Amino acid sequence: MNIRQEKQNNVLICAVEGEININNSPDLRKAFDGMFKQDEKKVLVDFAKVDYIDSSGLATLIEMLQRLKKIGGTLRFCNMDQKVLNVFEVTKLHKLFEIFETQEAALKGF
Amino acid sequence: MMISEKLPSQIEIIPAFILKVKEELKSLSVQREDVHDIALCLHEALVNAIKHGNRFSPDLEVEVRLEADADRLTVTVKDQGQGFDYTRVPDPTKPDNLEKTSGRGVFLVKRLMDRVDFSDEGRGITMTKFFKKRR
Repeated sequence: MNIRQEKQNNVLICAVEGEININNSPDLRKAFDGMFKQDEKKVLVDFAKVDYIDSSGLATLIEMLQRLKKIGGTLRFCNMDQKVLNVFEVTKLHKLFEIFETQEAALKGF
Repeated sequence: MMISEKLPSQIEIIPAFILKVKEELKSLSVQREDVHDIALCLHEALVNAIKHGNRFSPDLEVEVRLEADADRLTVTVKDQGQGFDYTRVPDPTKPDNLEKTSGRGVFLVKRLMDRVDFSDEGRGITMTKFFKKRR
């Protein structure tokens, strides 16, 4: 898994590439830790190059959301492949997270 | 297609095993959506067997058996742990559980596979997927 970070206005865009699973969730958590250290409060995770997420990956994203909420931050997702979106829908996590079709839509009003 | 293996209780071995299964499924011309769901459910079952069943014990193994024909795939995963009460798995989609960071593995398997049976007091799980037909 690779994570590319880019700042647009006040939003930190995290483009994740590859699978998000139990083996590499610690890497994702580490990247999120770095964001907190930099006091980032608006985070957009771009799923365009993510083709797979397991329950450990979902758990890591929930942790991220909870940590951001505590400091008044916002977490948004965009560009999800239908298979990945289906995992969020089956687990009803699409109701917990703010999921947008495109990066442009997610950045609007962030 | 038939795969029968005994795996060590190490999470690290899962990706290579899943990759092998995915390659086999692709050679059967199984649709991408089904390959994804089978890979995810096999992954979740193996993680549960290694982590919650065998508790990472180097002395315990996970037995996995996959059989597929043109219509369906059946996979059985068995661990050597204490088992669990599969009739009392909380629903992670209930509002009170939605923000919990665990308890989604078995739920995903039940929702994404077409048939799921438990055996041996929860030490074994057998999952079946009926392949979608190409349009």
